[in-house]
Amino acid sequence: MSVAAAHSGGIADHIHPEPQGFVRRYVFSIDHKIIGIQYLITGFVFMMLAGLLAETIRTQLLNASGGFVSPDTYNEVYSVHGSAMVWLVIIPIATGGFGNLVFPLMIGARDVAFPWLNMLSFWIFPVSGLMLFSSFLMGAPAAGWTEYPPVSLQGAPGTTMWCAAIFLVGVSSTLTGINFLVTILKMRAPGMTFTRMPLFVWGQFATAPLLMIATTALAAALAALFMERVFGVPFYDPTKGGSPVLWQHMFWFYSHPAVYIMILPLFGIISEVLPTFSRKPIFGYKLIAFSSMAIALLGFMVWAHHMFTSGLAPFLQVLFMVMTFTIAVPTGVKIFSWIATLWGGKIHYSTAMLFALGFLALFTFGGITGVFLAAVPTDLDLHGTYFVVGHFHYVLVGGSLMGVFAGMYYWFAKMSGRLLNETLGKVHFWLFFVGFNMTFLPMHWLGFMGMPRWVATYDPQFQFWNRFESVGSYIMTLGILCFFINVIYSIRAGKKAGPNPWNARTLEWQIPSPPNYYNFKHIPTVYGLPYDFSQPLPYTGLEDELTDSPPAQLTGAHH
Amino acid sequence: MAIAAIPHDAHGEVDQLYVETRELRLQGFLLFLISDCVLFSSFIFAYLYLRNTGQGWPPPGIARLDVAFAAWNSVVLFGSGATMHYALENWKHGNFMKYMWMLIATIILGAMFLGGQGYEYHHLIFDEKVTWAGSGIFGASFFTLTGMHGFHVFMGVCYLTVLLLQTAAGTYTYQKYFGITAGTLYWHFVDVIWVVLFSIFYLL
Repeated sequence: MSVAAAHSGGIADHIHPEPQGFVRRYVFSIDHKIIGIQYLITGFVFMMLAGLLAETIRTQLLNASGGFVSPDTYNEVYSVHGSAMVWLVIIPIATGGFGNLVFPLMIGARDVAFPWLNMLSFWIFPVSGLMLFSSFLMGAPAAGWTEYPPVSLQGAPGTTMWCAAIFLVGVSSTLTGINFLVTILKMRAPGMTFTRMPLFVWGQFATAPLLMIATTALAAALAALFMERVFGVPFYDPTKGGSPVLWQHMFWFYSHPAVYIMILPLFGIISEVLPTFSRKPIFGYKLIAFSSMAIALLGFMVWAHHMFTSGLAPFLQVLFMVMTFTIAVPTGVKIFSWIATLWGGKIHYSTAMLFALGFLALFTFGGITGVFLAAVPTDLDLHGTYFVVGHFHYVLVGGSLMGVFAGMYYWFAKMSGRLLNETLGKVHFWLFFVGFNMTFLPMHWLGFMGMPRWVATYDPQFQFWNRFESVGSYIMTLGILCFFINVIYSIRAGKKAGPNPWNARTLEWQIPSPPNYYNFKHIPTVYGLPYDFSQPLPYTGLEDELTDSPPAQLTGAHH
Repeated sequence: MAIAAIPHDAHGEVDQLYVETRELRLQGFLLFLISDCVLFSSFIFAYLYLRNTGQGWPPPGIARLDVAFAAWNSVVLFGSGATMHYALENWKHGNFMKYMWMLIATIILGAMFLGGQGYEYHHLIFDEKVTWAGSGIFGASFFTLTGMHGFHVFMGVCYLTVLLLQTAAGTYTYQKYFGITAGTLYWHFVDVIWVVLFSIFYLL
């Protein structure tokens, strides 16, 4: 009790007034759990839109001569598909969505540090998303999601809209990063030391500085592109003394760390799901935690490996190649730790676990093909080919999106109070897994055979595998449809979850599902790691959580 | 309505909730300054990168910037940093009138710096014919970076003026004055950015 007494009257004891009315409760909410769900819903809506664009791409590529859309439209479609999937789907779902929803509960906090700022971060996000998609009305950006100048300087008016939209969603990310970092640094429950934080919190802790620092660098690059397009201020135009390669440096200084923004939170999800469904302590807790930090740090020193074909000085090429290889080490540490966690465990093949295992397999594959592209000699050969498309879809879909689904099947119970249907979930997983590999595996050999990316038509010799891929992508879409049906069905008629359906040990599972708006009646005290499945729970102060009694602050018994 | 001394909170002490909230705000504000710093750093990188690819600096046809004038203007800005520092110190020591004078001095010096920058812009644009969009990478990098900094100074002057009105109305107390701390931090941050910009544009 002495620890709790030391916090008497502070933030830990402060409960916001209960939100009244639909608008304050569900629309302009300052509750991190509601904001998290808002992020998830908005992210999945944008995923459907960007997924339609993906199917447009695959339908176009059914035939070597194309014919589904015009080549110009095709350029717009893949540019907006990539931009939307990165900035409107994976990043917001992984950070704003799961981050908001889960990590304040995991550290025993009542909310994030700046709840109003959190609401602002969220509301910027749908606005910028609508701006990005509205660019189709005025001629969408058509230079790929990377929008390299000078092509992007000559692009349709929608390219300016693209700049503004991505800048705005970047502001939202930066504010979220600041918010999360302060929350994790300052608002952990008594006894929740850094080396007792759940690994999902470590994932967010490693991601937050990237959101804060790297996104701002992108803001500068976008602002310069905006100024050049609107006011003619020469930064990138080589005819006026500018440099297109400058954009590549500034863009990739953000966008390589962005790759880790898109994967570190999902590493966190995997690190929660694997021990829970293997009933075994996570192997190498500190290794997994610190390797996230190492990846975040090294992630800032490897951006130019995207630019080997842009005329980089040879010694810089070697430097960036070696730094990139170095990143494979902390990543490998994680993968071996996860496999060692499974080893000898009593594995329960729930849908969340299937997605986590799928993540392990597909992410590892994508990581290995990444090493091919980090090596200068092979990259020079493969850079403009479908090998690259295969590689990053293995990391971002096979990795990140699999992680997102693992998190959804795991935490849906906490956010809604009901379980997602397991049968439909398994159908979702197998359709998605098989369809995914059919779609993206052949891209690797198509790349070796020399099929260039970013073109609307291709040589007839690639016809068979492209058709195979398109069929795979339709199967994958069926899987995702199963997911959406599952969500809609389970919200209404899913099995009641109860507080802790998975018998998991982190703090969010020790309170009702869905949690009360104040999260904890009494902030618990933490005595150890949440992964020792044979031990009693390492918390005190949770006795009242599952009873009907309101928290002391609201009954006036306090003070 | 205006007050003549620093007000005190009831009982002369602050509650735990305020102490902890101030901690959060301070940390959040410092992180915001770090990300703002990254914004400047990115443009500084762009400037140095473009400068390195060009044919010497300043590019052919553009005169060197007037170092002496900018140096005096810098002294004005650094002077305002000193006055802001003493404003905060005087608040902490309970000297209300000294705080007010130091804050007013900071606002005036900040405005003088902006006036100086305006004069320099006027001279460059109308006498030297150097413009933002029409003078290649020189105009682009110089006006973008110093303009961004000038905008920060302008926002600072606005903020400090609000601070002045708020203090006169008794918003801050001897115990609760986070707004003044944040203003001071921001003002020093803007000063430090100017040290870098002055070095790389006028001295380098």
